Amino acid sequence: MAHPRERWSYRRSLSRREFLRRSAGSAFALSSAGAFLAACGKASNPTFVPSVGPTGSGGSASPSGLPFPLARKDNPVTWPIYDDNPLIQSGLQPETNATLKIYNWEDYLWPRIAKNFGKEFGCEVEISTFPDYQTGISTIQTAQVDYDIYFPDPSILGKLIFGKLVKPLNLDYIPNLKNQWLQLQSPFYDVGSQYSVPYTIYTTGVAWRNDKVSEDIPSMSNPYESMWDAKYKGKIRLLDDYRESIGMALLKNGITDLNTENPADIELAKNDLLEMVDLVNVKLDVSDYTNIPEGTSWINQAWSGDMISAQYYLPTSVPVEALSYWYPPQGGGAVGSDNLVVLNTGKNPVLAHMFLNYMLDQKNAFDNFYNFVGYQPPQSNIDPDRLVSEGVIPKNLDTTVVRPEDFDKGYTYLELSPTGDALWNSAFLEFSG
Amino acid sequence: MSRRKREADSKVGGVWYPRWFWPAFATPSTLWLLFLFVVPFYAILSVAFGRIDPIFGNPVPVWNPFHWDSTAFRFVLNQTFLRGGIYQPAFMRTLIYVGSALAICLVVGYPVAYFISRHGGRWKTFLLVALIAPFWISYLMRMLAWVNLLQDDGLVNKSLHMLHLIGAPKHWLEGEGITVVLGLVYGYIPYMILPLYGALDRIDRSLLEAARDLGASPRRTFFRVTLPLSKQAILAGSVIVTLPMFGDYYTQDLLSASPKTTMVGNVVDHAISSPFVTRAAGLVTVMMVLLIVPMFYYLYSTARASREAA
Repeated sequence: MAHPRERWSYRRSLSRREFLRRSAGSAFALSSAGAFLAACGKASNPTFVPSVGPTGSGGSASPSGLPFPLARKDNPVTWPIYDDNPLIQSGLQPETNATLKIYNWEDYLWPRIAKNFGKEFGCEVEISTFPDYQTGISTIQTAQVDYDIYFPDPSILGKLIFGKLVKPLNLDYIPNLKNQWLQLQSPFYDVGSQYSVPYTIYTTGVAWRNDKVSEDIPSMSNPYESMWDAKYKGKIRLLDDYRESIGMALLKNGITDLNTENPADIELAKNDLLEMVDLVNVKLDVSDYTNIPEGTSWINQAWSGDMISAQYYLPTSVPVEALSYWYPPQGGGAVGSDNLVVLNTGKNPVLAHMFLNYMLDQKNAFDNFYNFVGYQPPQSNIDPDRLVSEGVIPKNLDTTVVRPEDFDKGYTYLELSPTGDALWNSAFLEFSG
Repeated sequence: MSRRKREADSKVGGVWYPRWFWPAFATPSTLWLLFLFVVPFYAILSVAFGRIDPIFGNPVPVWNPFHWDSTAFRFVLNQTFLRGGIYQPAFMRTLIYVGSALAICLVVGYPVAYFISRHGGRWKTFLLVALIAPFWISYLMRMLAWVNLLQDDGLVNKSLHMLHLIGAPKHWLEGEGITVVLGLVYGYIPYMILPLYGALDRIDRSLLEAARDLGASPRRTFFRVTLPLSKQAILAGSVIVTLPMFGDYYTQDLLSASPKTTMVGNVVDHAISSPFVTRAAGLVTVMMVLLIVPMFYYLYSTARASREAA
């Protein structure tokens, strides 16, 4: 089984040729960014006016330095529908002789699902991948590509909408939205699902090999501290992701605002991470799904979906019971969702809407999760308890199951102001070397 | 035709050629250099001295040098050259790793090239192919193979243990600088061996025989004849090997991934996927300027050798 968010295979192993292509490409192509900014200035809705958008309301402008609000649980945002970026009309027929172009993480969609969609709707489906959001957005921004569908998380949704890179959704085409968990049918970061629909959900916690680690991590007073345990020097790994690594250090210190822009908080987290370098010789990658089963790491910061996939990477000599995953049982950890959006660069907006609906279909969503991706869809018909009782998820990994209440009690990584983002990035770069 | 113009033109084999004739042959390589080096380098400078799109965090190159903003570049310079700068450890590590890897490449590569050129006989071609064959496999796959070999219970530890060279498994993959250095050596050593082989194979045997006839011992013959005659190849191999090593980041990623072994290439790689692309471009520029010094030495040395040969 392949792995869902296999960013590693791209980002961490970029060939020199690819590196040069990307560098040169961005250097030349991004010259259009200036034009883009100029275009933003000329757009029909140059600045976001909360509550008085053409069809939008809610959300208050933040002092973030951004021309749009930062969505927060206590500051839900209804994005406006811009005059020059309207919805497609209802009742249109799908495009004919079309190739639907999907721009996704590596191995984050079951190819058979894509193939079946193509067969059912009489089109070709082409999947391209991006290694990280920065590259993904840069590519879309160049407008040299005509991708139809993209998979952003809430931390980049605002800029995609404000930059009019994504098309507002005509929900007439997406009746399956009703299959999703109620709070994700109209999430606070996109009230009314005007631009996005949920694709997968996950938590971020601590995974470990219980046959190698003697401590009972869940019973520790602060299980995050297990990652600073010098006894396991060389066998501890963090996710190579600036939000996740700093976020975990924040949670360890009891700071639950995972979008804090307080320099003192970030400094505290950074110093804790720097301490890990000497203390446990921490390593950074996003191969949690192979590290733990193969024993390369014994304690690993991990995504819940990756731990579901991890069972397929176990050597034959290691039983699945050796895998453990901890996420705060009462909630209150890092929780996230990836979403589906329709890109303005695409040539097939009707097919794209239909694809979104197709992926929100109960059977398709489950098949995609169970057969390939490993990341749970927020489908209301999927009973988290039955996932374990019916053997979809091993009993010892029942903590990987994401429940609706996790989204009520958990903390999501959201969009930061440019200053805040620079603060987080700067701290991470100092830590990672 | 004026006398001056006539003098500027040249006569070869009784035929007069206009003075632009011979330099014209450099046009393709000049264009190549212009489009594949000068223009990309200017693009990097335009990014290093450019701006960052405040919304998307992407670089906005500034092509007009009069509008360049040196903030990011000054940050890179300060953090590289001032005491306690955050980039200093990566620069120092890179220097040490590349220097060590180069030394090992030479120590291992020279005898191999020497052996093939002198004693390869009819097996020369086979030996060369055997040497290069593993490198038909992608660099990534070869490094991943090493990940398996170097694991705690991998073949390397098992072999060392069997030979009683180690008591307990050595944790090669847990952020060890030596592993990164050996990875670099393995990845780049053929590029050292091939130019060395070429030079050693071309050495006129009569020079060696003359040295022996004049009473030089084999050791003295090597140090007074063979080694000086292969100096240019050593320099060429060193340049070919070290330039990509200085920019390498995936060897560290695959064989270590620890912040303790981060090289400059990794810092650049991390910065590229952050809102600090201007700093990444600044780091690349600093590295290029630093590497120009040994490059000029190489060019100077090659030119001098050509003059001496003439």
